[in-house]
Amino acid sequence: MKAIEVQTLSKIYSALKAVDGISFSVDEGEIFGLLGPNGAGKTTTIRMMLTLVKPTSGSIRVFGIDSGKFPESVRQISGYIPQEVSVDGDLTGYENLLMYAKLYHTQREERDRRIREALEYMELTGRENKLAKTYSGGMMRRLEIAQALVNKPRVFFLDEPSIGLDPSAKNAVWKYIMNLREEFGTTIVVTTHDMQEADTLCDEIAIMNRGKIVVSGSPEELKAKVGGDIISLGVRSGDCSNLLQGQGRILSAKPDLGLYELVVAEGEKAIPVILDSLRESGIQVDSVSLKKPTLDDVFLKYAGVRIDESGTWRETRRLRRTYRRLG
Amino acid sequence: MMLGSRYLSTVFTLAEFELRKLKHDFSEIGIRGVQPALWLLVFGETFANLRSVPTGAFSYIQFLTPGVLTQSVMFVAIFYGIMLVWERDLGLLNKLLSTPAPRSAIVLGKAFSAGVRSIFQAIVVFALALFIRVPLNLGVLEVLGVVAVIVLAGMCFSCLSMSLVPVFRTRERMMGIGQAITMPLFFTSNAIYPISIMPPWLRVIAIFNPLTYVVDAMRALLVTSDFQALPLDIGVMLFATAIFTSIAALFFRRILD
Repeated sequence: MKAIEVQTLSKIYSALKAVDGISFSVDEGEIFGLLGPNGAGKTTTIRMMLTLVKPTSGSIRVFGIDSGKFPESVRQISGYIPQEVSVDGDLTGYENLLMYAKLYHTQREERDRRIREALEYMELTGRENKLAKTYSGGMMRRLEIAQALVNKPRVFFLDEPSIGLDPSAKNAVWKYIMNLREEFGTTIVVTTHDMQEADTLCDEIAIMNRGKIVVSGSPEELKAKVGGDIISLGVRSGDCSNLLQGQGRILSAKPDLGLYELVVAEGEKAIPVILDSLRESGIQVDSVSLKKPTLDDVFLKYAGVRIDESGTWRETRRLRRTYRRLG
Repeated sequence: MMLGSRYLSTVFTLAEFELRKLKHDFSEIGIRGVQPALWLLVFGETFANLRSVPTGAFSYIQFLTPGVLTQSVMFVAIFYGIMLVWERDLGLLNKLLSTPAPRSAIVLGKAFSAGVRSIFQAIVVFALALFIRVPLNLGVLEVLGVVAVIVLAGMCFSCLSMSLVPVFRTRERMMGIGQAITMPLFFTSNAIYPISIMPPWLRVIAIFNPLTYVVDAMRALLVTSDFQALPLDIGVMLFATAIFTSIAALFFRRILD
């Protein structure tokens, strides 16, 4: 049995297709990532899986349970960390955990032990009687993970788990998420617009853009799809697209800025050849760099833009506001 | 059976943690006591000197105290929706809705929280009234009755507020709508003057105003000991609360979208 099976799932707000007929499945014990820019439909998808948003069409099964028919059973085995901060700052860390232990109907005799364990596991022992609003951003995230741990979810949904955290807190959160899977075999679904996060955490990734899954696979498979190494060139004078075409596959070309990206099989060997041919044509090269493909390049290949170029903040905010009005 | 007890446990859990929050920071209750203090100490004391309001065998300040008590409960409850908007913007509401709890249990739990919170609001007004020596019936049964009425009123008006959230959505608009309805509810009720001196058109409105029944119940318990209309008062409150709760529960999911 698959942990999650999603079939032709759509969510339409008036004329706006937030999620547009996506299908995917997640194996038990897998860390599955929905990667895409802001406004791609990731959060709507995760909220539909959690039965917070009603799908317009399509079906979702979580450990075989039809989420449309038994939303409360699905929620009982799920844990969730929304994108926004979801700890109650006016309660202590311990109280935050206790409240959710009670809301998930954890046995009275087990509650305290499970809370202590979760606090210890997330290295929050000693701070549990302080109001949560005195915690740092990283501690709040850890408290949120602890909250979910108390209820031992079979599937854990995290919406942009490291958003707004500094690099060291980010790494810590990733470590905890991966440990969770190792120790408890929890199935984990994360959404992220951070390609590094997706690359580090996920076994499987579905890349989303404008409500659709454009490509999916393991990070390695996806990166292999780019087809090799990427050479970035900065040149002066003239359009050299034609010249470069013979050397490899052009990933992006901005002749007016003199910037080109080229995919080649073996970057180290291709660079001297390219440089020679450009020099022969009298084109001056300002800069050249070589890198291995990232998920961002995969996104570029399949969506036509880079993740951070697609969906600016303002656009996303407008989109969200529209959803809210239409909802 | 198990479902029923789980349902109730959700309702009580939400109220429990509302109280814990209150325990951590009691200042809010004090700040919210300023307005009723003004009504009782400034308005009440001055108006009483006019001796123009027919309040029967009881002094005006006795007549006014249950009105101010009700008003303070209603004022706090009617802005409860703002807290919901706040919790939605923070992500707390999303998280709460992702628990196995049924929607209606969450609405009821929130309403009950507002009701329980109202008790502490009322204690401030009580303390004020006792401080200026307003004669009130303070038997055990009366006080228990008053507590029940306060909780019910808090639930009633907080549910009214929560059912407005899906329509008005933002904090600013909720603030605006709250202010737009509190004063009319207050002035078209029998809180600061009896229905008998109202012009006929206003009497009609007063009869359809749920606040009238809350004030009437409070007044019966605390001052007049005339319990004839009490069943009607409680009945109307229960009815109004049921209607507002249903509306709020029905449209609760829309708060998130």
